[in-house]
Amino acid sequence: MATPLFSPTVLLKDLGRMSTHGQARRHFAVSRSLPAKALPARRPRERVEIPGLEMVTYGDRMHYVPGLAKPVYPQWERDYKDPGHYKAPPAHHMLLYKGKPCYVYNQRTSALEGVPQALWLTKAKLISGLPPHLLSLAESPANQIPDQDERVQNAIKHARFWDTTEERPCKEKYSNTLLSNLLHLCATLQSRHTVIGRRILAEKYSLAATWKRGEDLFQVRGQNGLLYNCMDPLPEVSGKQEVGDTAHHVLETFYPVSPSIDLQKVHVYEEEVNCSGFREGYPYPHAHTLYFQEDGDVNCKLHPKQFRAKMVMFAFGNALARAHSLYGTQPQHVLDRPITVQAVGTNGRLFQFLVFQLNTTDLSGDDGIKNQVWLDEDVELYDFAKLRPLIKKKQVKVPAGLEGYKPETFRKFLSLYLHGAV
Amino acid sequence: MAARTRLPLLFPKNLPPFRNQRLVHTDAAAKEPAYPPVVPSLTAKSKSALRRQVEEHVQKVCASPVEEKLALITRIQREKYVVYPQTFARNADRWYQHFTKTAYIPGLPEKFTLGQEHTGGEEGSPPAAAQTTVPGIENDAFADIRSLVSRVILQERWHLKKRRPFLYREQEHMVGPLLRNLVSGLTYSLAKYNPLLPLSSLDFNPQVNFYWRRGQRIIPKGHRRRHLEPTRFQIDDRPHSQIRITQQLPQFAPLEACYDAEVPEITLAPNVMPMFRKQYDNHIFTGAKLPDPARYGHTQFHLVPDRYHRDRMARKQQSDQVEVFLRANGLASLFAWTGAQAMYQGFWNHEDVTRPFVSQAVITDGQFFSFFCYQLNTVALSVETDANNPRKNLMWGTESLRLYESVQDGEVVGLNDGVVKLLVQFLMNQP
Repeated sequence: MATPLFSPTVLLKDLGRMSTHGQARRHFAVSRSLPAKALPARRPRERVEIPGLEMVTYGDRMHYVPGLAKPVYPQWERDYKDPGHYKAPPAHHMLLYKGKPCYVYNQRTSALEGVPQALWLTKAKLISGLPPHLLSLAESPANQIPDQDERVQNAIKHARFWDTTEERPCKEKYSNTLLSNLLHLCATLQSRHTVIGRRILAEKYSLAATWKRGEDLFQVRGQNGLLYNCMDPLPEVSGKQEVGDTAHHVLETFYPVSPSIDLQKVHVYEEEVNCSGFREGYPYPHAHTLYFQEDGDVNCKLHPKQFRAKMVMFAFGNALARAHSLYGTQPQHVLDRPITVQAVGTNGRLFQFLVFQLNTTDLSGDDGIKNQVWLDEDVELYDFAKLRPLIKKKQVKVPAGLEGYKPETFRKFLSLYLHGAV
Repeated sequence: MAARTRLPLLFPKNLPPFRNQRLVHTDAAAKEPAYPPVVPSLTAKSKSALRRQVEEHVQKVCASPVEEKLALITRIQREKYVVYPQTFARNADRWYQHFTKTAYIPGLPEKFTLGQEHTGGEEGSPPAAAQTTVPGIENDAFADIRSLVSRVILQERWHLKKRRPFLYREQEHMVGPLLRNLVSGLTYSLAKYNPLLPLSSLDFNPQVNFYWRRGQRIIPKGHRRRHLEPTRFQIDDRPHSQIRITQQLPQFAPLEACYDAEVPEITLAPNVMPMFRKQYDNHIFTGAKLPDPARYGHTQFHLVPDRYHRDRMARKQQSDQVEVFLRANGLASLFAWTGAQAMYQGFWNHEDVTRPFVSQAVITDGQFFSFFCYQLNTVALSVETDANNPRKNLMWGTESLRLYESVQDGEVVGLNDGVVKLLVQFLMNQP
């Protein structure tokens, strides 16, 4: 079907570029009508230039004449600045263009190798399970909430069943509500431990941290989740002896896959950008815990392994930004005071707990002191929360309501929360 | 038969007195009725049958447990007026007062010391360390709370690097996190002074719905022409955050005090306001379903919408509508919340509340705060129950008060202690 040349070829060109990835497209155009769906872009007819031959065009005739060539006019540039019609220059004309690429890990990156890739990028050693002295914080009754199990179960039921006028809330909503309910329960301990009053939550903060690994430049950037900030730094989790022992650890490589796979390769970037998301003079400069939600970003669905990798990278990013602001951007072989950042990720039922200790900012070589990561993965808070019982062959397999509540998970959550306050 | 009996024309003089001794000394003996009571039919096509159907329905609702009561009351979908708490209509607060039978009392009840009267004096005078009139809080704790408030404001306004918000989403980006941190920070700091707060439930972006009937109209056209139809209303509100508690707050004023209050009467139909009718599911919801233990409300926090700008209204010479909007918002939201709380306890149109339900609200745009207190004295608002109902609901409210002047060079300039005091007093409210 030949499209008439003077009709909306402009439309097709625009629409071909606008791909919506399944989201609703905002129509801001009022001057012309747009079709409902983005039509596929058509390749324009190839124009053949034969040197020496002059093309006879219909430009002088001012209307289309079959048989004559389409005229080519010089590019017209607006002499004023119109933000509604702005075309960005190509990458190599930008001011910050650099020949050497930078690999950026952002909040939608889905790393192929998952946690091992994140460990290689951050030069860290993995220890599965949380450190025992951290877990013992929630064991003592002084650090427990009165009627803890009952209140946590009520919090789960509120998030899963009672929060909406419809039958059941959707997954994104209930995981959000569950996290805020659990944080509310933990924060009511402020009457006993006043140090909790020296903390604050921050959402929608933009992190940026840069480091060199081998010959490549890496950056961590983006708005990742809920950040819990504290006025005082977290105490270090492992002593100097263990830190020194990590020097013998060998990082796991995954040849032939490159460690920078799935990271966004950019040539236009600012070198040495280190920003914790806040200005100087912020009263709560130390990052305490990051809270991630699996369904936090609508456009990005991560598998559990990639989600854990994201947690590792952003905890590392926060620690590195803090280290750069404290000790400068020169790589330090060993930090006098290792920086600890915690992370908790959830999908509404399964929790991942992470503690990251930054021991060194000298990340270019593969040897030397490594950072440490304690990871507790896929910890269930409860087994089932069903509105209608699951009945197979006339037998009730899973009854309705909350089933299989595990109190240890909340104790781990609470101990991570109280770390530094007790 | 009348021909056979001969009635004595005169009473016999020798009738012994007190012949029927049994009738004098015993109570009127409730004899078992030999026949069932004579009542109008239930299924006939008559007005008395209709009346009996209504009575049977009322008795059925009264006799059922709370969940079934709510389901029976909200069962049938009909066209109803949708009441938006945040409305652009002019003089909306008078309309809403009429719909909810609420009397507005300017100022706050006596238990909240009116700190805003001293705003002029206290800002200049040295920090009112000796004058903290918040009962139950020491001066140090108040100073801590004050510094917490200023740090929260600074975090959102100064320290956090933010991008420019999208169109009509400034409140959500700029003020939403500020209010969230303010509410949580204040709640946890005051948790040790108010025993209700550690057991409370803090919801963010909850839903509050209420459905009621008030007044009636004659249907002008259609196959039901000239019939009387009750006017139905529905409020669907989404506050920014709310605190729900397990015990009820004490009343601000006794029930009898509301008999003299004045409620504006509006004779125009609601669609003049303008208000539009829609038919969809009737919901009655406090923020959590019935099984939740935190059934009573404590405080709600609201954000003004993005198209509400004081300076723009001042330029259009509509400065009076600024306060009207806030009052209408507080009234509708709190009426819906307290009404839903009362319904959750089993009170409804025909079973009026036996104790008043009380809640509070704070409406803000980041800089200006308005405080409202609501006491629900009656839920019986429909035509049949309102005829002899002298009770009215009461609302107390303040004008909008500035919390701080501005943020300059990492410092909050002009933090108003009175507003902080009021916030603290609101959250300290306990039985």
